[in-house]
Amino acid sequence: MILRFLMAVVTGIIGSGMATPPVLAQATPSAEEEAMLPPDSWEPFNQAMFTFNLRLDEYVLRPVATGYSKVLPDPARQSVGRFFKNLGVVERFANNLLQGKLSGAGQEVGRFAINTTLGGVGLFDVADLWFGLKESPEDFGQTLAVYGVSSGPYVVLPFYGPSTVRDTVGLAVDGAMNPMNYFLSTFELIAVRGGITITNAVNYRSLNLQLFEDVDRYAVDLYGAVQDGYLQRRENDIKE
Amino acid sequence: MHLGSLVWKVVGVSVLVLPVHAWATDSPLEQIRATTERALAVLQDPAYGGLERRQVRVDKVREILLPQFDAHEIAKRTLGTYWRDRTEEQRKEFIKLFTDLVEKTYSGTLDRYNTDVKFFFDQERIEDDFAEVDSRIFDPTQNKTFSVSYRLHKVNGKWLIYDIVAENVSMVRNYRNQFSRILSKSSYEDLVQSIQNKLKQLSSTPSSSS
Repeated sequence: MILRFLMAVVTGIIGSGMATPPVLAQATPSAEEEAMLPPDSWEPFNQAMFTFNLRLDEYVLRPVATGYSKVLPDPARQSVGRFFKNLGVVERFANNLLQGKLSGAGQEVGRFAINTTLGGVGLFDVADLWFGLKESPEDFGQTLAVYGVSSGPYVVLPFYGPSTVRDTVGLAVDGAMNPMNYFLSTFELIAVRGGITITNAVNYRSLNLQLFEDVDRYAVDLYGAVQDGYLQRRENDIKE
Repeated sequence: MHLGSLVWKVVGVSVLVLPVHAWATDSPLEQIRATTERALAVLQDPAYGGLERRQVRVDKVREILLPQFDAHEIAKRTLGTYWRDRTEEQRKEFIKLFTDLVEKTYSGTLDRYNTDVKFFFDQERIEDDFAEVDSRIFDPTQNKTFSVSYRLHKVNGKWLIYDIVAENVSMVRNYRNQFSRILSKSSYEDLVQSIQNKLKQLSSTPSSSS
């Protein structure tokens, strides 16, 4: 596992010699913006997955999350969210390093140390509250973007939702860096990760009941609204 | 008396006499702050409180907000290149439809406003006739801070909003993506129909307050 991590670092260093991160221009307001649709060559598949995810949300995720939100008060659910976030320290640390963000990487280590101990296994974000250590949320999808990998076609993943090919690769790489891998066998890993993913999804959904409703409310074309919302956010994540 | 001091007197008197929004035109940030405060005053006013006065309250807020927006520019930008192919009549129709849509959508969020929500106006950037104002909204019930930026341009000496960027998502670009998808697959008439359907749906469920 350590080897895998080192490989990632080495590939990153070699990669950095080959391509320089693109210079990001400050967004200036343009007089006329053109109508340009993002490439969506896999649209038939994406539409099907989008509908699948909507149904899954309507019949499973939202009812469960609603019930869950009634049982567990809001602060507790926020704690659960922070607990899962704390576990993602290795991938955030590595991606900060790979993107040359040394202070971000340091912050992540500090945050993990503080929140795991003083913050009660990550249930509370005391690193931010008491020490002002902010999260530096870099993922491998962003790392790939920094090294000039283009996003590839837009893709809607079953269960997970909107993504691009680049971000899907990133997701898999980040998953491989999760500390859970070091402790569990493959079989246990699938079971435990599956359980965590489901709990995390329910928890996240319960914290965003209103948000989902709002998007559904204002959208004329829900698929287009979600697609663009995802792409705009990702563009900004990469810029930051 | 020096001419200079006379000028200052005139300026001083005008500042006192003119309504707030007239002399705030030089600062987009102050203009948005003032508008927000006026809208909040209505929402906090017990005279407009309660479910039975909802419509009066919504109308009052609309009266304050609407003059701050450039509906023509927003509608034009959401149609992108498709705007050029529209007749003058269609453009008018579309501006009306789109304004209705935005109003109907966001009037629901007014019901969820509570006095603990805090607004912060951080900074403004001005480049010629364009400006961007960065703000944050803190919602204590969710313990979350949301970033909201306003994009404005100057029309006849007045700053008007042509886009709102909430949590890094531009509203205009998001609508343009939705509309372009419909327009590229079918027709302008279909887009109008889709918006009308949405308006009907929103009218039957007037509020999504929780």
